[in-house]
This record gives sequence, C-alpha cells and structure tokens, in this order.
Amino acid sequence: MTGRSITVEDVPALLAGAEFFSTSAAGEGIEFAGFWLEDILARTGPVELVTADELDPDTPCAAVGAMGSTVAMAELPPSGEEPLALARSLGGRFGAPLGAIMPLNAASVNALHPVAAAAVLGLPLIDCDGMGRVFPLIHQTTYELAGLSLSPLAVVSAGNDSLLLDTGSARAEQIARSIAQAAGGWLLCGMYRTRVGLLREAAIHGSMSRTLEVGRLLREHASDGATAQALAGDPPWPEVASWPPHARPGDGESSRRGTAPHEHLLRDLMAATGATVLGGGRVVELGPSTRQAGTVYPGNPTSMVVHDHDSGRLIRLEAHNELVLALADGALTAAVPDLLCLLDRGTLRMTGPERLTVGDQVDALCVPAAPVWHSVHGLGLGGPGAFGFPLRHPRQEGR
Amino acid sequence: MKRAGRPSEQLTVDELVRYGPLGHAEMLVGENLARPVSRVALISDLDQVRHCGPGTAVVLSRGLALGAWAVESALRLAWERSAACLVSPAVVGLDQATAQLARRMRLPVFVVTGDTAACALDLAAAIASPEAARARLAARCAELFAERSNARGIVGVINSEVPGVTAALVAPDGHVLAGQASVDRAEHRVQVDVPGPDGRRWAELVAATAGPSSPTWAETVLLILRLARGPLAASVARERLEAVHGAERGRAALRALFAPPDPGPAAQAEPAGRDRGDEGRAVLEEALGWRVDGRHVAVFLRSGTPLDTAATGPGVISAWQEVIDDLPLVPWETGWASWWTGEEIEVEQVASALRRHLARMRSPIPLSAGVGRVAEGPEGLRESLSQAMLAAGVTVRDGPGTVRSFDELGFRVLLASLSQPELVGSARMVLADLLSAPDGPVLVATLAALLDCANSTSQAAARLGVHRNTVLGRLERIRARGVDPDRPDQRLALHLACYALLPEVS
Repeated sequence: MTGRSITVEDVPALLAGAEFFSTSAAGEGIEFAGFWLEDILARTGPVELVTADELDPDTPCAAVGAMGSTVAMAELPPSGEEPLALARSLGGRFGAPLGAIMPLNAASVNALHPVAAAAVLGLPLIDCDGMGRVFPLIHQTTYELAGLSLSPLAVVSAGNDSLLLDTGSARAEQIARSIAQAAGGWLLCGMYRTRVGLLREAAIHGSMSRTLEVGRLLREHASDGATAQALAGDPPWPEVASWPPHARPGDGESSRRGTAPHEHLLRDLMAATGATVLGGGRVVELGPSTRQAGTVYPGNPTSMVVHDHDSGRLIRLEAHNELVLALADGALTAAVPDLLCLLDRGTLRMTGPERLTVGDQVDALCVPAAPVWHSVHGLGLGGPGAFGFPLRHPRQEGR
Repeated sequence: MKRAGRPSEQLTVDELVRYGPLGHAEMLVGENLARPVSRVALISDLDQVRHCGPGTAVVLSRGLALGAWAVESALRLAWERSAACLVSPAVVGLDQATAQLARRMRLPVFVVTGDTAACALDLAAAIASPEAARARLAARCAELFAERSNARGIVGVINSEVPGVTAALVAPDGHVLAGQASVDRAEHRVQVDVPGPDGRRWAELVAATAGPSSPTWAETVLLILRLARGPLAASVARERLEAVHGAERGRAALRALFAPPDPGPAAQAEPAGRDRGDEGRAVLEEALGWRVDGRHVAVFLRSGTPLDTAATGPGVISAWQEVIDDLPLVPWETGWASWWTGEEIEVEQVASALRRHLARMRSPIPLSAGVGRVAEGPEGLRESLSQAMLAAGVTVRDGPGTVRSFDELGFRVLLASLSQPELVGSARMVLADLLSAPDGPVLVATLAALLDCANSTSQAAARLGVHRNTVLGRLERIRARGVDPDRPDQRLALHLACYALLPEVS
C-alpha cells in the first residue's frame, strides 16, 4: 500500500484530466459528474488508489464504466446506488464478492464512475485502465486484447433496471447499446470480472495517476492564467478566447519571459504524457464529413482543418465524436488508437469540434497509446480500420 | 490503359480538359495543367496510388468517396508520385482547404459528379491515341463548319466546340466582324489569314487560348482555324453576291418606281403609267420590304471622287447594313439612295441620325451625304431624293462624313451641278495660269474661299485653317498670275470656275 488516495480535493483535477484523455469530444459536458462525485466522496471518505501489484493476485475484481450519452446522464444523473447492484449481480454470479474495482477507461466521465463505485462499495481502486483514452465501444480494451472475457456484463440503467448479460464481447456491446437507448440513454456497466493477477498483462497501469497528474497541470495553468489576468485587470477568459494570440491579454508576465501561456502548458503536457504537438493555429474549416461505410459508431462524423501557423501546413482532423485521424498536408501523421486532442489557446482548456468555430486558435496534440495498442491485434481492434478508415496506422507504414 | 509513343505525342491535362473527358468535370484546382499524361489509374484503394508512375492521371473510384480526408490522402500520395492530375468523385466536405492544399502542391484536381470509372475509361481512350482525339475534335468542327452558312455561325462553332478557346473574325482595321471582341486583347493567340472572294487577305481569324498552350494544342487550334478558312471565304463571297444581287434588284425597282408615265398613245398613257408605278411599288413593298407610301425623307450618299459604284457597292452596302439593318441602300446614279419613312419624320432628325451612322460606318470609301425635304408618297420620294442628291453634291466638297440638308444649303445646292465635264473643261482653261503655278490647286482653293468670304482675308484664313498672312501671300501670288478677285464684272465667272474645279483640287 502506498497510502495514495483520491479525496474530494482531487475531483477538479480528476475532471480536468478526464477531459484531456477524452480525445476532445467525449469530455463535453461532464462537469455535473464532478459535483456528483464530490458529494459521494464527502459522504464515504477518500478512495484508496492501489497498484495491481499491491493486491493479492487472487482478489476478484471487475471493470466499471458507463456507456451511452453523457448528455442523457447529465439530465438523469446516477443515484450513486448503481454500483451496489452491479456488485450484487457479479458477486452472485461468481459466488464471491468483488475485492477491487478497476476503471474501464480513465477518461471522460468514466474516470469518475470507478472512483464513485469504489467509494460506494468501500473497495480499493486499481490504478490502471483498459483504454488509456476513450473508445466508443466498451470492448475496445486492452482487457479484450489480453483475452479477458467481457461478459457476463452487468448493467444498471438510469431507472435502476438491472441485467446480467451472458454473450460474446461485440454482441454484448451491441445489445447493451440498444438497452441503453431504451432505458434512459446511459448504462453503468460492470464487466471483465477477473482476478487482479491477470491484470499485469491486461491493463494499462498508472492510468488513474496519469489522469490526475495531467488534470493538476491543466488546473495550475488555468489558475496561473487567471491570476495573471486578474493582476492585469483584464476581462475574464471566455471573452478573450477568440482574440488573436499576439494581442491576447494575460500573456503579461509570460510574454515577457518570451513564452506564451499555451506554449508553457504544451511543454508541460508533453513532458507528462509523451505527447507530440502536430501543429497549431487557426481553425479554417469545420463541417460534417462522410460516415464511413459499415461502421456502427455513435456520434457524428465531423471534419476540421487547422492551418498550422508556423509551417503553413493544413492539418485535417477527422472526428467521429472522438478525433480519429490527423492528416498534415494529406499525409497521415496520427491516428487512433493514439490519442488526438485539441487545446484551446484562448481558454487553455481542452476543446473539441462541438465547442469550436472557424477562426479559433488551437493546438493539436497526439499522445501515443499504450504499446499494446500498436500490436497487430491492438490496431485491429482500435486502429483506423476499426473506425472504417481504410488506412494503415503511421506505425504500420514500415511493416 | 498503357500508352505508347513519344512523349511529345502525349496529351496534356490541359488538352484532356479541352477534348472532353475532363471538360465536363468541375475543376477544383487548375494549377500546372501543361503536364503530359502518360497513363490513367483507377484507384479503389489508397495504397494503389503508391504504385502509380509519374504523369499518371489518378482517378478515385466511387468507393473512395469517404470524405475530404481520403481525397487529401490520395492527393498527397499522387503528389509524391508526381502524378499529372487527380480526379475525384463528389464528396461531402470537399472544400476550400482541399483546394488550398492542391494549389500548394500544384496538382490539378477535378471533381466528377457521375461515375468516375466511366471518366477513367474516356481518359484512357483519349490518352491511348492522342492523334485520334485531336482528329476527332477537328473532324467535329469541320462537320459543323459545313452546316453553317455565315461567318458568325462558323466562328460560333469554334467558340462552342473548342473548349478554352475564344475566336473572332477580325478585319484588317481591327474591326471584329464576328465572334468575341475580347480575343483582340488576349495574350495567347493563334491566327490565320482568311482570303476574300478575290483571293486576297480579307480578314484574320484569331483564336485566343486561356493560357500558354502546349505546342500540340496550339497546332490543333491552328488546324481548326485553317479548316474554318474555306467556309469563311465561301460565306463572304456568298454575302457579297447577295449584296450585289440585292442592290441590282433595288436599283431596278427604284427605277421602275420613279419611271415617268409611258409616252405612248394618249388614251393608254394614264393607265399604263399607273401600272408601271404600281408594279415597281409592289416589288419594293413585297419583295424587298420597303415602304413607299407615307412621309419620307430621302438621303443620298456619295463619294467626293468618281468611283465605280458596282465595285465599291457591296462594301458600302454591307457597311451600311452593319449599322442600319432596317433601311435599304440602293445604288443610284453616282451614289447610294435611302430614305426614312414615318408619320412624324423630320429632316433634322434624319440628318443627325445619318451623321451618327456615317461616323460608325466602316465604308471602304469616304462618304458624305445630303438629305432631301420631307415628302409624301412615291412621287414625293423621288423629289426628296433629287434634293438629297443636290445637297450631297455640295457636301462632298466639305469632306467625308459631312451631312447637309437641302434646306440648310439653300441656293448653294445649285453649285452641285457645276461639276459638269464641259464646265470643268472651260474652268481649267480660264484658270490655266493659276493652275500652272507650283501650288496651283492651293491657290484655286484660296481664291474660292476669298470669294466665298467677300474678299475678307481674315475670314478666308479661318475657313482654310491658315494664318491671315498666308492668305495675303497667296493673294499676292494669285494677283501676280493675272487674276483679280476685286473686279466686279469678273467676279461671278471667277467664282463659278473655282467651284467647278474645287472637287479636283481639294
């Protein structure tokens, strides 16, 4: 035991980090979950965050995560009792209660649900996840790649309907999505019931810590920006969001040091996540794109083009809710499963196609996915082909 | 889809746009069109672009209509392989950013709304035999030339059938006879001379290409222009022939209309005269579409120098028809007659209209005109025409383009009759001394001006446009030749002699 825990104070950072790893789209409108989690943690006390190695390898554990629409979830928020039903279903099925919780993915609203589940169930939370980002389908996980079984899938709906589904992974996803639609728009799921010992190969370790760390970075920079702006007596951030970068107030001290705040933040994010900056500049085009044939993904295909300020390159980003591809001057430079995200230079917050308009200034980042995602199976499950794009991942080019 | 042959035989992207296969596609980016196209590749998988050689026309199949990203990916790969152009199906979101990228890469991009596979086939057929494609275009033009009967139609064929080319038929003086006037200002032009009916250069057929064209394309355009040359010459000959024929018919009809009553037996004189007049009128009204009844103002056009009206006639008549197509122009005696008809027609109105038209007319010979009085019916028309002819006889002295009415000239119209050969001969004899001077004609003109101005040297100087001292000097020389304009008994004769000689000396 390291004695690390997630407390009420950690929630804002967790939320900011969850937004970063949500690949620019799925993090939209998850603020409600922050207040909700704060309430739960205030009631239950902190959640213990442990590494898989710290637990007995035989400890039964399961992944917790929500599927469906975050908008629906904001309108019909979870009561907090849902994890109890999940634990009951899975415990009853296997004849042994759960000993630990692991996140399905430590990103977007799903970075918060496992914390709430661990808190409500009084269980430790394993510092790992199965995606390292957001994927649209619940079986697009490293757990799946390692051969863990998704089912039985325990689901609880907004209306407290409870179900235990015994079927194959892809089918479970398909059926559960229909149920989600019928039962209020979202489901909390308990799946990949396994033993901690098997997570060594199957999980992406340190995901929760990484989300928290990135969240703290973003919070720090946001408050630095706010302080500098308060000292300068400038208007609040939202009003300056669309200002051209050179004339933006709040550059104050940092411009005197020769670095714009967004460059400072980018440097820190690159150090923390191993991200690379694909380019940054003005959004010059934003509109609907073509739905790729034969795909079943929820969400709308969108395409946007960022004109890279320094190189003059045109960076096209294809989004399918999540950002899927980045092409620089027509050449594929980044693609799923690597995480693509956009930083709004004005607000120093992560942003996405739904919040952007033509003319906004953004930086496009690419955070490399966990190595297992770059394997042949990994790319098959979460690569461009899985999203209907007949392209080879940049890492496959040499193969 | 492979081609064979020398590189010079390859069609360029530009030509593929002109010849059709790409002519119907939307050109998203038209950069670098001069590149030769060596082959066509129909791509159904982006990876296939990697196997395309330089100069390939990359055609994306419908299956790749996956979004702007797919087109941009193909664009990038095509650029890396030095492809000639990219043809894409219509795709949602294919917009400015894609066009901007293509412009940066200087790679032409076309968007086809229909089936790109069909477009690829057409392209392959064109590329496989460039000569055939060029010949097909030329043959189509030749076929259409044969169907057109006038210059406008023939030039129109080039403008509509040869994409990217605008053509015009331009007269030696720069006047555009048919086609698009903008051709004259175009930077890149191809031209051929067009012979007239006499075999000499009559006009120039000019074609302007949108940009600097490849040598082969320029050759093709030149071939088409040459093909148009024969039909154009034939059409102008036909027009001339029609003009001469029309003029002769007009002259005959007018003569019939103005014919005096038959001087035959008294009993038959009246009806016969009416018959002939009626007959002429019927021809005028029905066959030629002229109006002989109503209020007329006749005009008469003539040149200062005696000319063969039969030779210059067609040119004058076609120039007249270019500016006034609803009024007849009939060769009549020493010039050409016409008339305005209308219930409220006025002489001044006609004179100013005629002045305007004369200025615009591109007549082969300098013309001036006289205008008669307002008159009723065919009889009045004849009288009005006689007046116009008299007035025209005066205006030729005032230089080309002058229009005067009979009333405006007053008694001076009488002077128009002074150019009778006998009078002219006598005048030449009387003024022989003056004419023998080195500047004889100038002295005669100066003497005429002095007499016109009642011997006022300053007025005569103003009229002649010279300094008064010049007039004084000339007067000295006139007197030195034994001519004294101050002698009242000689004055009228002298004045008449001067007027008789004026057409010759001016």
